[in-house]
Amino acid sequence: MTTPGRLHPITIAIREIADIFGRMGFGIAYGPELEDDWHNFTALNVPEDHPARDMQDTFWVKGEPGKVLRTHATSVTMRKLEEMAKSGMSGMRMINPGKVFRNEATDMTHEAQFYQLDGFAVGPTGSVTLAHLKGTFDRFYREYFGPNTKVRFRPSFFGFTEPSVEIDVWFEAPGRKGQWLEMAGAGMLHPNVIKNAGLDPEKTQGFAFGGGLERLLMVKYGIPDVRLFHSGDIRFNYAFEQKVRTSDVLTSEKSV
Amino acid sequence: MKISRKWLQNYFDAPLPDAETIANAYTFHAFEIDEIQGDLLDVKVLPNRAADCLSHRGLAKELSAILNIPLKTDPLREILPASDVGTYHVPTSLAVKIEDPKKCLRYMGALVKGVKVGPSPDWLREALESVGQRSINNIVDATNYVMMNIGQPLHAFDAASLDSARDKKLAIKVRNAKEGEKITTLSGDEYELSPNIQLITDANADAPIALAGIKGGKAAELTDETTDVIVESANFDGTTTRRAAQALKLFTDASLRFQNRPSPELAAYGMREVLALITDIAGGEVAGVVDEYPAPASAPAPVSTSLARINGLLGSDFSREEVENVFKRLALPYTVVNDIFTVTPPFERTDITIPEDLVEEVGRIIGYDKIAPKELPVDNGAPDQSRFRGIERMKDQLVEQGFIEVSTQSFAPMGDVLLANPLDKNMPALRTSLESNVNDALARAKQYAPLVLAPNQKPKLFEVGTVFPKEGEYVELRMTERVPEWGDAAGTTDNLSVAKLEDYGKDYVPERYELGAYQPFSVYPFIVRDIAFWIYSAEGETPPGPDVEASKMEELIREHAGPLLVRLNLLDRFEKKGRVSYAFRLVFQSREKTLTDAEANETIEDISGALSQIGHEVR
Repeated sequence: MTTPGRLHPITIAIREIADIFGRMGFGIAYGPELEDDWHNFTALNVPEDHPARDMQDTFWVKGEPGKVLRTHATSVTMRKLEEMAKSGMSGMRMINPGKVFRNEATDMTHEAQFYQLDGFAVGPTGSVTLAHLKGTFDRFYREYFGPNTKVRFRPSFFGFTEPSVEIDVWFEAPGRKGQWLEMAGAGMLHPNVIKNAGLDPEKTQGFAFGGGLERLLMVKYGIPDVRLFHSGDIRFNYAFEQKVRTSDVLTSEKSV
Repeated sequence: MKISRKWLQNYFDAPLPDAETIANAYTFHAFEIDEIQGDLLDVKVLPNRAADCLSHRGLAKELSAILNIPLKTDPLREILPASDVGTYHVPTSLAVKIEDPKKCLRYMGALVKGVKVGPSPDWLREALESVGQRSINNIVDATNYVMMNIGQPLHAFDAASLDSARDKKLAIKVRNAKEGEKITTLSGDEYELSPNIQLITDANADAPIALAGIKGGKAAELTDETTDVIVESANFDGTTTRRAAQALKLFTDASLRFQNRPSPELAAYGMREVLALITDIAGGEVAGVVDEYPAPASAPAPVSTSLARINGLLGSDFSREEVENVFKRLALPYTVVNDIFTVTPPFERTDITIPEDLVEEVGRIIGYDKIAPKELPVDNGAPDQSRFRGIERMKDQLVEQGFIEVSTQSFAPMGDVLLANPLDKNMPALRTSLESNVNDALARAKQYAPLVLAPNQKPKLFEVGTVFPKEGEYVELRMTERVPEWGDAAGTTDNLSVAKLEDYGKDYVPERYELGAYQPFSVYPFIVRDIAFWIYSAEGETPPGPDVEASKMEELIREHAGPLLVRLNLLDRFEKKGRVSYAFRLVFQSREKTLTDAEANETIEDISGALSQIGHEVR
């Protein structure tokens, strides 16, 4: 009999996340990694002269001005909102897990390429609120990290949301003291973003969120270095004890 | 922005709480705190508030609203001296010219005569030191103090170092640098300039005296002999200043403030404050103030929102009184008619332009902790995860076939899409295929196989990732070898962007795994050793079943192997002429160093010795 191989820890995490969000009505959306300026910046209310557009922060494509390696998976949100406008839907909930790129020096906590868990929920005015954003993340983190998890919001700023918040999570690692960790940025979609998608901000509102996916795993499993994730090193896959979960019952994988 | 609690206290009659309480107030209602050191707080002012909050005044005002304690004084609400009839007159001996009013929105220049440059009074020196600044002299300290107090960057030039020969009139011109023009800054560094950098120049001599909005020049530096100074309180365009600072790699307190576009109105308040302070601590007389302000900023437009809209966006249940109270605490002038609030932002609150900005003010001042979490209403119909599930189904099949999933870098040495600004010059392109990455990973996997895989497990890898050939990006599945079960037509690669994965995944439930805590692996080389032996069984004793027997042997080996043993696998077991043979594979590795063969041999000898002692016969 063939000994089974192993999935990458990111795949394992996305399956778990997809399941939790799936039970809250979220689908999964994809979009290009090589994006245009419109979906990555302009439509998301990032002004023309914003520092994020500088060469210092963003990878641009040679000979194709206006083409960037997406700096966030919020570009996928923009594309889905545009689809929504075209198809006349009144609401949508999606998570967009995917690779994003930042032109920054790498170290233990920074990579020039990493995964983001981005997503959004929109609906008719008044139906999707900041309180729902809180409820969604309350549940997500409790299911992902464990029942002792707590969530709090702090004021923040992002061009594509208003109001904007930072989401902190109270996490108690096994045998360690609990602590507040900054996990994601979020907020209510800025009316300009809704308008740019071709939707009417008087009729549609919703929240959007985004945070590093590797960071979720680093916190949950105690992984010290973000560079381990995309190194192509199989020792990383095998650095965890792995159990198969079948219909919520865990069974030890047959030892090899 | 570094602030001190003592400095903040100047704004309040009531004693402020301790630094920790102040830090919490900011954190949950305004800005994150990077660091607290005694009475010093490093506040991470958000970009939308950097126009007014990179100042003690702005942060005092925030604190006043958050803690609901009134401000004693607000320098931005004190009426300015009217320039034509008030305290200052236009001097006949100083002229100011702006070349491009889009890049310099306002330039106020004051001539102060008869100052005495010297050390600062104790209170001023202490105030600057309390926020980590160094005292230089009374005039420079006055400009820095006022900048950190109300947010307006200021500068003072030695008037005597400017050319006034022709008509006894000093002249300042704000213009773009010429290609190759040079300036030496106050810190003694020389910069070669290009036309996208704006300069303050001595117009009579056509010589640069400062990098506009960034740093002063050596040519007009104050000295102990200085008696007349030109004080600058200006407003330089944010983008121009930021780009110049970036080009020069010279980010300063001044450039940081200008790039966040404070209102040009602030310049007049800055000038009033700094002139009052200079004449107070350095003497002298204000000979006059020139104010070049080609297109005065219009007052911010009123913004309206309703109580229903506020609660409808926040999901809250705030009352009209609670909302009104927020505007009162923030001292935002407002009216309320039929639950519709109209706020007229003061000039420095450049961030309030749309109704949602008011919603944010309400949410954060009352506190996001006052908003109870709500679960989203149940959505009709199952969410669409079919494409995702299709991809995952494929991955599950590969894992079943023994494949290990890897994730590799998107950058490559060669490719069809080149980056304009690669991070690593050896990886200037985007990968066109996953092939070389998975092959490279396979080579390393073969090397590590004894460490992580079973002895009979062949390393086989796959990756699902985006590739960027010239025809356009797609998601590639790449395997290091074919999957025979997938048929003869299936190769080692597939384009998942065109594959019909939605139907394939629609009803599939991906396999789920639970991972334990991460166990770091050693970076040092490992050594593999096999050991085989006939086991001893006492006469007349019934041998235990093979499983029990094997685990007993394993236990025995582990007991004598020590901490260097990182992996132990049963290679084989066979019986011959009533005797039973076992073979195990042992992998040794240290977390601290590269193991020597001698060390591995020594451990093997220890194990062999222990086995022999019981009567097992090591071969």
